[in-house]
Amino acid sequence: MLDFTSTPIILTLMLGAVGVIIPVISAARKEKGGKLYGGIAFGALVAAIAFVGYQIMTKNVASGALFSKDVLSNDMFGSFFAIAMLIVGIMTTVGSFNYMRGRGNPAVYYSLIVLSTIGMVLVAYSTDLVMLFVAWELMSIPTYVLAGYDKKNPSSNEAAIKYFLFGALSSGIIIWGISIAYGLTGSTNIEQVISGFSHLSPGMLPLAILAVAMFIAGFGFKIGLVPFHMWLPDTYEGAPPPISALLAAGTKKAGFAAALRVIVMGAIALDLNWSFALAIIAIITMTFGNLAAIRQKNISRMLAYSSIGHAGYILIGLSIAPFSALGAAAALFHVLNHAVMKAAAFIAVAGIVATLSITNIDKLAGLAKRMPITSLGLVVSLLALAGVPPLNGFWSKLMLFGAAIDAGHVVSWAPYLAVAGVLNSALSLAYYGWLIRKMYFEEGESEKRVKEPRSIIAVMIFSIIFMVGVGVYPDPFIQFAKSAVPVLTSIPVIH
Amino acid sequence: MTNGLIDFVLVSVALLAIGIYGLAVKRNAIRMLFGVEMIINSANLNLVAFARFIPNSQGQTLALFSIAIAAAEVAVGLALIIVAYRMYKNIDIEDFRSLKG
Repeated sequence: MLDFTSTPIILTLMLGAVGVIIPVISAARKEKGGKLYGGIAFGALVAAIAFVGYQIMTKNVASGALFSKDVLSNDMFGSFFAIAMLIVGIMTTVGSFNYMRGRGNPAVYYSLIVLSTIGMVLVAYSTDLVMLFVAWELMSIPTYVLAGYDKKNPSSNEAAIKYFLFGALSSGIIIWGISIAYGLTGSTNIEQVISGFSHLSPGMLPLAILAVAMFIAGFGFKIGLVPFHMWLPDTYEGAPPPISALLAAGTKKAGFAAALRVIVMGAIALDLNWSFALAIIAIITMTFGNLAAIRQKNISRMLAYSSIGHAGYILIGLSIAPFSALGAAAALFHVLNHAVMKAAAFIAVAGIVATLSITNIDKLAGLAKRMPITSLGLVVSLLALAGVPPLNGFWSKLMLFGAAIDAGHVVSWAPYLAVAGVLNSALSLAYYGWLIRKMYFEEGESEKRVKEPRSIIAVMIFSIIFMVGVGVYPDPFIQFAKSAVPVLTSIPVIH
Repeated sequence: MTNGLIDFVLVSVALLAIGIYGLAVKRNAIRMLFGVEMIINSANLNLVAFARFIPNSQGQTLALFSIAIAAAEVAVGLALIIVAYRMYKNIDIEDFRSLKG
């Protein structure tokens, strides 16, 4: 029976009501102006994050990742992702205040951001494949609309159509995977599917492998794993920059939440040599993303390829999760850090686009003099993405690579993941450094300081405090990530 | 004569193949949308067929949800395609190439 006081249900009711009420208020109200709707969305998201924080503090959530008979479980794993997604939702909402000035339909825009955020949160909490699929679509469909929000702009529309076609294909693949899993095990509850997988007759094993492969492909489209990444740079470049932040930092991370619950556990139950396959995908993904990012001229496109590279780093944690206790915790910590870093970088780009209409990296020369606070935020987030100490990206990369070396006691190939990760971080420093050099050490055409939007400054200051704060004092966040890790040994496997 | 499970699965695999063919070969955005819809509907057929041979109705429940979601998805997709048509007077995705890199 559903417990109506559990965290995910109250979150859904709270944010869902706000998401539905915003367009209603807009219809009832005569005067125009988007500030009110942005304010309501911001208030609701802040209240939601305060509620999740309260639930964690008062220990109303179970630790680890639970399986339950219900469709939603009130556990730490979901709450961890909920905090990350809600931070991204808040940063996107505030970062959009300036973008939305003078544009039509602000009520719909903010309402869709709130609805998409609930979808992401529910993906992380769901323990049933039906719920997972519905939440996945609740997350995806609003973002198709948001990516094409700038409807007079051909590149925004093109971005949305590419994103839509690949997104719809990925949901088709996911529901195929669910249908095979249901046919084999007679249930859609993730726990029962996994225990069913571990008792299959050998003749049915290829079908179960096919189901897991379909989940990897379906979730991989959103995560941006390399054979499935074709749409990603185009979409992140063409979509409005605040929405690129939502996609890169939000939907991608929800994909990892689903992957941890479904793929990792399903693959463990099948007892395949699957983690080696994930490790190969991880290395290909990060190398491809970082190599392609080097030759980009457009800053959004460069950040898009860099987010493909980061999907590879997080996948290291997933692939070594069964061999090292730290693997999954490191992946979760990097998910939280990357969400804030990437959202900050894209919101900084949104500020630059809104005030100077520049997207070409060559034209960013001398930006530090024109927009000092936005430049500082962008630089701190780029350094954090590269993993420079003492910023938060350093600690999560250190945990990831340390876990990979630690797993070398069990599997001989794991330390190579750490080597690949370190080489890739060095490679990524090349193009981040090039961008920083452009902004700070090159003479621009104009040195006149322009007025920076206040909402962008607010996001920049928050993210600088977060990145430096977690970098200086990472311990509580590492403990939080460790407490949220699914207990992989509790999987009902009999081998 | 009643149909066995294998007949349903064969039909749904055939639909999946047609859908993938449509996505891979066609360059008209609406035809590609049809391809995606065929993939989703073949999965729905699969779910309903399995639910007939499994003593619970979760598969049928998911099929109902998935039909509703597919309808929402098509509404969004067609809206995007209409906007594209207004701009390009064409819905050939080969012509959408303002984003390159």
